[in-house]
Amino acid sequence: MKRIPQIVVLVIFSAFLFYSLQVDSPAPQKARDYLLQNGPKETGAVNLVTSIYLGYRAFDTLGETIVLLVSVSGVVYFIGKKQ
Amino acid sequence: MKKTSILDVISRKLSPFILLFGFYLVTYGHLSPGGGFQGGVVIASGIVLLLLCQGTERVQKLFPLTAVSFTEALGFFAFLAMGFLGIFLGSGYLSNFLPIGTPGEVPSAGFILVLNIVIGLKVGAGITLICFYLFKEED
Repeated sequence: MKRIPQIVVLVIFSAFLFYSLQVDSPAPQKARDYLLQNGPKETGAVNLVTSIYLGYRAFDTLGETIVLLVSVSGVVYFIGKKQ
Repeated sequence: MKKTSILDVISRKLSPFILLFGFYLVTYGHLSPGGGFQGGVVIASGIVLLLLCQGTERVQKLFPLTAVSFTEALGFFAFLAMGFLGIFLGSGYLSNFLPIGTPGEVPSAGFILVLNIVIGLKVGAGITLICFYLFKEED
């Protein structure tokens, strides 16, 4: 009897998932085609992943390095106490 | 716990090749799968293998704590400096200002190769620093 709300939520969610699987919506192809055509030409990197994460989205990579820097400083702060 | 000679020998023979493979991943990041983050983690794993098998003192004689933390900080500032150089020499922040060259060769994609090397050194130093502190022996 306690589980009835959870079962209702589960049924609704699975119905939504099945419905969204039924709808025919192909993945957007514009960006993919553009990167495949112009990625190596514009950035010079043959590896498309690198051409995206350092060429088109280098700012995002800057954020990732900040995340690593902050985590390292957290570790040093918490367990790096001088005796 | 007593250390066997298998660990001693294997770690000393294996870790130079792990470091070499890490630097290969970093410098060929714009041509083949890999790049700064993955190569940096492989470099750090080579150092951590030495750290686990040889003990803290011998490894920190080879990779001093101050040098590793200095590399970590310097890598971040080198990344920022590359971005600011893009403002003055290129078209905007973090824009490519070096010649691209012919795609497919090793020294190509100017800016991306330099950023890969900077990120590789920075990530390797960062993970190594975390493991230095986590494996520190209580005394």
